Amino acid sequence: MTTITSRKRRAIMVYVADRPGVLNKISMLIRRKMYNVESITACAARQSGYSRISLTLHEDNNDNLQQVILQIEKMTEVISARELDINESFWREVALVKFEASQIQFEQFNKKYSFETLDQQNHGVHIVQLAGISKMIDDFLLDLGDDKIIEVARSGFTALDR
Amino acid sequence: MKGTELVLKALVDNGVTYVFGYTGGAIMPIFDEMEKQKVFTFVMSRHEQGAAFMAQGISRASLSTAKPMVGVCMATSGPGAMNLVTGIADALMDSVPILAITGQVASTVIATDAFQESDVVGVMMPLTKQCYMPLSVEEIEETIHEAFYISKTGRGGPVVIDIPKDIQIQTTAQTYQFNAAKYEPDLHGFKYSPEPDSTLIKKAVAMINKSECPIILCGHGVVASNAGRNLKAFAEKAHVPIGFTLHGLSAIPVDHPLSLGMVGMHGSVEANRALQHTDLMISFGMRFDDRVTGDLKQFGVDVDVIHVEIDPSEINKNVKTSIAINADANRVLKLLAKDPEINTKPRRLWFEQLDVYRGEIFEEVQKEIEKGVGQEGQLLMKTIVKRLSDVTEGKDLIVSDVGQHQMILARFYNFQTTNSWFNSGGAGTMGCALPMSVGVKLARPEERVWAVCGDGGFQMNIQELGSIMEHEIDVKILLLNNGYLGMVRQWQTMFYSGRFAGTPLKNPNFGAIAGAYSIPYQRVETPDQIMAALETAAAHQGAYMVEFLCDPSEIVLPMVPAGGSIADMIVSLNQE
Repeated sequence: MTTITSRKRRAIMVYVADRPGVLNKISMLIRRKMYNVESITACAARQSGYSRISLTLHEDNNDNLQQVILQIEKMTEVISARELDINESFWREVALVKFEASQIQFEQFNKKYSFETLDQQNHGVHIVQLAGISKMIDDFLLDLGDDKIIEVARSGFTALDR
Repeated sequence: MKGTELVLKALVDNGVTYVFGYTGGAIMPIFDEMEKQKVFTFVMSRHEQGAAFMAQGISRASLSTAKPMVGVCMATSGPGAMNLVTGIADALMDSVPILAITGQVASTVIATDAFQESDVVGVMMPLTKQCYMPLSVEEIEETIHEAFYISKTGRGGPVVIDIPKDIQIQTTAQTYQFNAAKYEPDLHGFKYSPEPDSTLIKKAVAMINKSECPIILCGHGVVASNAGRNLKAFAEKAHVPIGFTLHGLSAIPVDHPLSLGMVGMHGSVEANRALQHTDLMISFGMRFDDRVTGDLKQFGVDVDVIHVEIDPSEINKNVKTSIAINADANRVLKLLAKDPEINTKPRRLWFEQLDVYRGEIFEEVQKEIEKGVGQEGQLLMKTIVKRLSDVTEGKDLIVSDVGQHQMILARFYNFQTTNSWFNSGGAGTMGCALPMSVGVKLARPEERVWAVCGDGGFQMNIQELGSIMEHEIDVKILLLNNGYLGMVRQWQTMFYSGRFAGTPLKNPNFGAIAGAYSIPYQRVETPDQIMAALETAAAHQGAYMVEFLCDPSEIVLPMVPAGGSIADMIVSLNQE
């Protein structure tokens, strides 16, 4: 078996009836199919009574992915499930980052990444919010370096197609 | 009305007449109401697993009758519900609609590790088609109606309703006006597409007409959709041979000239050779299980596949299809059987070839059957099954346990009656036969029912002899006792250098056990006693048990080794 990360990232979008246990069912199925869910986000859909779940996992084979989608779709609570075409959709995530930096460093980072500042304490501890593509967040964290980062909370992907 | 009354009302609305189960703290209110109203025949199993299989028996056997029923079982919370799990998982694997109602601890103490509490919804979720926990009395009725609908609509499956004890005894002024004919639940996400796409049918017909050596694969879906008659008409019209999956057997009489018998791991030589050399598989209501296909990489390479299946997630799962028809098998077969564009092709070469395959081990097997005993001088299961077939003329209902005897029944019993073959296929649950036969008999009381068990499986649910005794269930129990878990022993013989790890059984005196349950019993040790014993059992009014001393060395052949391809089929041990 190839390592998980070497496989292509795929996104599945699911509309579900807002009933208890649906998220559990979907994640159980994905575990059973032996995938590691990379990220899963759920929110209320615009139509009341429904939710929208987007999840990502790693799979190269189209048939295997189609099988996962069909098995998700088989659930009574699932209205529809489909793959989001990476090239035809927007994928964004939010990160909240607590880090330590001098005021000068902070200004430099802010200029480069234009984050929103949520909190600034003495001793140069900052909490900021970044929203955008994952690579931007990855880049910021890399730029910041492990020695400055205190804690990171990332939302996981949410996606929308054209 | 009280929650318990609403439960009963909804069950009655859905045509329930039998309830199987076992009481206990958290389900007592419902049992109490059943005792007051006496609207069902209640059959107490001796273990909850038995109740689940009894419910399966009702569903499986009644689906071909004028009044198809969904079997219902009930158990209390915690251990009661957990004991149902195997029977429910089995129903999911075999697409059998059943409804299980479990009592749960009061909603006020759920998730506090209360006495006899377990997370039933959490456990059942991946093993059911749907599961529910109503949290107000008003939800009960609609939940039950929805449960029945989901369970039996499309591909069948088990549904569990876990009802907290406090909800059972709540009262409400609200009741639901149920109309069986008009009922359709508000289930936006429930997908059911029985109608085939006519352009796909056209394509399929062209492909069938073109094929020189096609084979029909008849799966459980043909039996479940009562499509046997249309299958026969279509096969005859298109002149295509038929291979059956384990659960496809008894869709049409198995001695039909176009029948090749069962395909797969223990399928017939002719069926498997046909699969190996076909150019087109026309499959109805089956899922290309690994016991059918063997190694998928070597299965159906460059062969066209028409796959008719009600569950879209089964299409292209194991085998790539050329034409996928997501529809009800019966509706498709009905259209195909009447389609004027279908050619009746002689396919002379193909049928000549099939006759050669048919003859490959025919005489060898006939000789064994005639001899009736194996290497150790004890009875052969195939001889017993052949004689059973003679006595019943293939007309009776056969409930089988799991193992060698099951495969031998599938190979050698001459199924004549539509939907007359009941056993655990996908899950392969030992111990299913005894309780399942209870449900089968209650669903089809006019027909004779045989429960055929090995000595291993028989003892897994042997306690259900109690239910058989108490309710005077007229099943003929055939115990094929070879002192081993025969199928595993067979694998040990063939693949584990004959080390019999955990397969020999020191058995009790089965005659004394039968006697303890007041079930008449006979023991058969020689081939010449077989017919008379079977005839006595058949003629007896009421339950009867015959124990056969079987030869542990008997091997079920042919056999496609697990993970091997159909081409690796072992046909005879003599050639090794």
